[in-house]
Amino acid sequence: MKIPLTITVNGERYDLEIKPNRTLLDLLREDLGLTGTKKGCGLGECGSCTVLLDGEPVKSCLILALQANGKEVLTIEGLGKGKPDPLQIAFVEKGAVQCGFCTPGMIMTAKALLNKNPQPNDLEIKEAIAGNLCRCTGYNKIVEAIKSCAASTKR
Amino acid sequence: MSEFDIVNKSYPQIDGLNKATGKTEFVSDLVLPNMLYGRVLRSPYAHARIDHIDISKAKSLRGVKAVITYDDTPRIKFGPRSEDWTILADGKVRFYGDEVAAVAAVDEDIAEEALDLIKVEYTELPAVFDPVEAMKPDAPLVHENKENNLAAEFKIEAGDVDQDLKNSYFVYKDRFYTNQVYQAYLEPMGALASVDLSGRITLWTGTQIPNMMRITYAKALGISLDKLRVIVPDYGGGFGAKMENNVHLITIVLAQKAGQPVKLINTRFDDFVGGNPRVAMYIDIKLGVTKDGFITGKDVHIVGTNGARTVYAPVIVATACYRPDSLYRFKSVRAIGHTVYTNTVPTSCFRGFGNSQMTFVLESALDMIAEELNIDPAELRLKNGIGENEVSIHGWKITSNGLKDCVLLATKKANWNQKRKKRKFFRGIGLACCNHVSGNRAFAREFDGGAGIVRIGRDGNVTVYYGESDMGQGQKTVFAQIVAERLGVPLDIITVEQVDTDISPFGMGSFATRGTLMGGNGVLKAAEDAFKQLAAVAADMLQAPPDEVECKKGKFFLKSSPQKSVSFKEVAEMATFKRAGAPVVGVGFYKPPTELPDPKTKYGNISPAYPFGCHIAEVEVDPDTGQITVTDYVAANDIGRAINPMAVEGQIQGGVAQGLGWTLMENMALDDKGKLINPDFLDYVIPCVMDVPEIKPILVEPVDPEGPYGAKGIGEPALNPVMAAITNAIYNATGIRIKELPITAEKMLKKLKEMKNKIK
Repeated sequence: MKIPLTITVNGERYDLEIKPNRTLLDLLREDLGLTGTKKGCGLGECGSCTVLLDGEPVKSCLILALQANGKEVLTIEGLGKGKPDPLQIAFVEKGAVQCGFCTPGMIMTAKALLNKNPQPNDLEIKEAIAGNLCRCTGYNKIVEAIKSCAASTKR
Repeated sequence: MSEFDIVNKSYPQIDGLNKATGKTEFVSDLVLPNMLYGRVLRSPYAHARIDHIDISKAKSLRGVKAVITYDDTPRIKFGPRSEDWTILADGKVRFYGDEVAAVAAVDEDIAEEALDLIKVEYTELPAVFDPVEAMKPDAPLVHENKENNLAAEFKIEAGDVDQDLKNSYFVYKDRFYTNQVYQAYLEPMGALASVDLSGRITLWTGTQIPNMMRITYAKALGISLDKLRVIVPDYGGGFGAKMENNVHLITIVLAQKAGQPVKLINTRFDDFVGGNPRVAMYIDIKLGVTKDGFITGKDVHIVGTNGARTVYAPVIVATACYRPDSLYRFKSVRAIGHTVYTNTVPTSCFRGFGNSQMTFVLESALDMIAEELNIDPAELRLKNGIGENEVSIHGWKITSNGLKDCVLLATKKANWNQKRKKRKFFRGIGLACCNHVSGNRAFAREFDGGAGIVRIGRDGNVTVYYGESDMGQGQKTVFAQIVAERLGVPLDIITVEQVDTDISPFGMGSFATRGTLMGGNGVLKAAEDAFKQLAAVAADMLQAPPDEVECKKGKFFLKSSPQKSVSFKEVAEMATFKRAGAPVVGVGFYKPPTELPDPKTKYGNISPAYPFGCHIAEVEVDPDTGQITVTDYVAANDIGRAINPMAVEGQIQGGVAQGLGWTLMENMALDDKGKLINPDFLDYVIPCVMDVPEIKPILVEPVDPEGPYGAKGIGEPALNPVMAAITNAIYNATGIRIKELPITAEKMLKKLKEMKNKIK
């Protein structure tokens, strides 16, 4: 049995019919071919699959696609308007990317943070990404990259 | 100003923006037309006889295209080191998670459903999980033909240990235990396999050893080597684990059986129970010193967990037996290592390869000795540390050596002297050193070295082919920098191709901290060859002899009159025209001056270069909860000349975070039936950003005579000293030494209570 779903992903509207048990993650990766969002555990424990759902960071492996009905999803592919987002550039330039598998989820989480709080301090950055695991970098350069994208006003 | 244009400078990863924008296709992202999804049915028992398997219901489920059991495999015994593997269980399962059957279906849901329809009848057998228990005469046998469950025995001896220990002023004796931990790379293992009409197989997988894996797998499949092509796309981390694993072979057999491409990516559960985790070890040590703190003899006995079949545990136990013997000037050493079959998941490589286990023990022992002799721990290391241009007790020719500088710079940066003197309650500071290799001749037995191919087409773009493996550490970027430097071109015209066994050089792979030195030298030699060919053409164009020609920043010019120049692109075009379209292809290789160790004495120089390090940790222990927090960390590593300092820092910070996880948090816990009880990131907790302090790397860069532009490796020595640095700091904070990893809050609290009761 398939159920109709209307969803906007990266500004594009899709009218689809899907199985009710389809997760948002599998919808993005398998049905829409948006493989930038990664599957690291499928249990909401690693954060690699983080996307923004109506602006809120969610672990897309824990969300049924139908829960996103009528909502807007932003994935790593949709970040930046025609050119990379400053966060994407900062992650690369600061050496915050090693294997890169956690990177899209980490960047989406950071994006949600900066949208809400453009000038986070170190602790706020760490609290925001505490649910995103990285096994390569030891996080130091990730925090540095996010910090470099905080609004440049003097703190 | 640096004498170099491109190397010894921090560049972001050349493919970094692809990763950060989601464009990189990882193994798990790959899709082929008509592709099926595979899943594995695993054993719910640690040890059981398979009485019957019924696959009929699974086979008839709509959407299922193949169901396989042992009978569908080539039924060949094989293995990378010992022929104790079969592709699926041959009538017996030997660990919780052992592969019993597998399914390929049109989607993952159906594959999952089909697994539930496979009915297996088991008769449970007595099982053994601990290697010391497994060695006892009445222990159940994991393999009927392996007496006492012994997978391997390793012995090494140099000098007269008994005499030296007898004459020592003090001998430290103790038993340590290093537990089993999981590599926890973010992308689980898996593969995509496709079989063409002739039966030739293409396997896309994240592997650290594409060429060696291919040899093992061709044997397992009963095919000749040319029938298997291995391609290595980008993949999400390895840390030692991503070598041979049954999941790849199961993918191939499913693709053969279904006649369609199959992708099989482990679920995180599958990866926990069927991966290649670290070898757990019991280590007994006796370490002697003179009254003024000179190390005399070391006597070691190790019992390590092999798991139910042999991946690389025996060589890892062997490494633990003798690698740190080349860190200090030992008078005599002796070690016996037993690698023992158990009904647990097969164990293998994890950053450090046995040296990390033994470094924990040796550096803990030295800390206790320093206290006994009332010598500063840093002083004790400086006194005994091996120097440059020395030959170690096992014949290792130490050339460049920054150990002393590592100790001096780390202690200075951490404010060691002052902090050791000023004691604060439940705060402590600890230090540990390490050595390592950059390549291991004893592991790569057939030959040693690295090779590269550098191709320059008409458009002047440069493509590099290498044979190692970039698992995310940034090897491609480092190789691009080396080639760009040698050719004299900007970095952005270099592409580094994925390893493809049809095209790339036969590289040994990425292990033993060998990538930068071996593979880097390989591509450097290839770039030299390409440069010579291009220089000849440029010389013609500039009407000068070839040795008058140089290239910098993409321009060939004459050394005597630099204003006379021609662009790299023009030269590449001319070269292609002159050769009727043939590109310039430089091929090169590096054969290191290493020796296969003597089979009996194990004497011989196993690596062309040896990195060293000294780490200092500061901790805070909560007396009420036992919670341990690492508050500060300084990591000085001798890495030769850094090709890319930012990448080296990233390696150090990542290695330290992994070591921190192992020391304080991580443990693969079994229940009394041998079932892994924490096969997910909720119960098996790895460090998150809150657990990791600022890690301050110090790069010590003695130019190594063998390294490409003087570089050595960094992967493993980034982790080796961490466990002892932290535990020594805990001892400094509390006076408590816990000798079994991990040191959880629970264990710490128990010890704190015991101490409190004693004082009362």
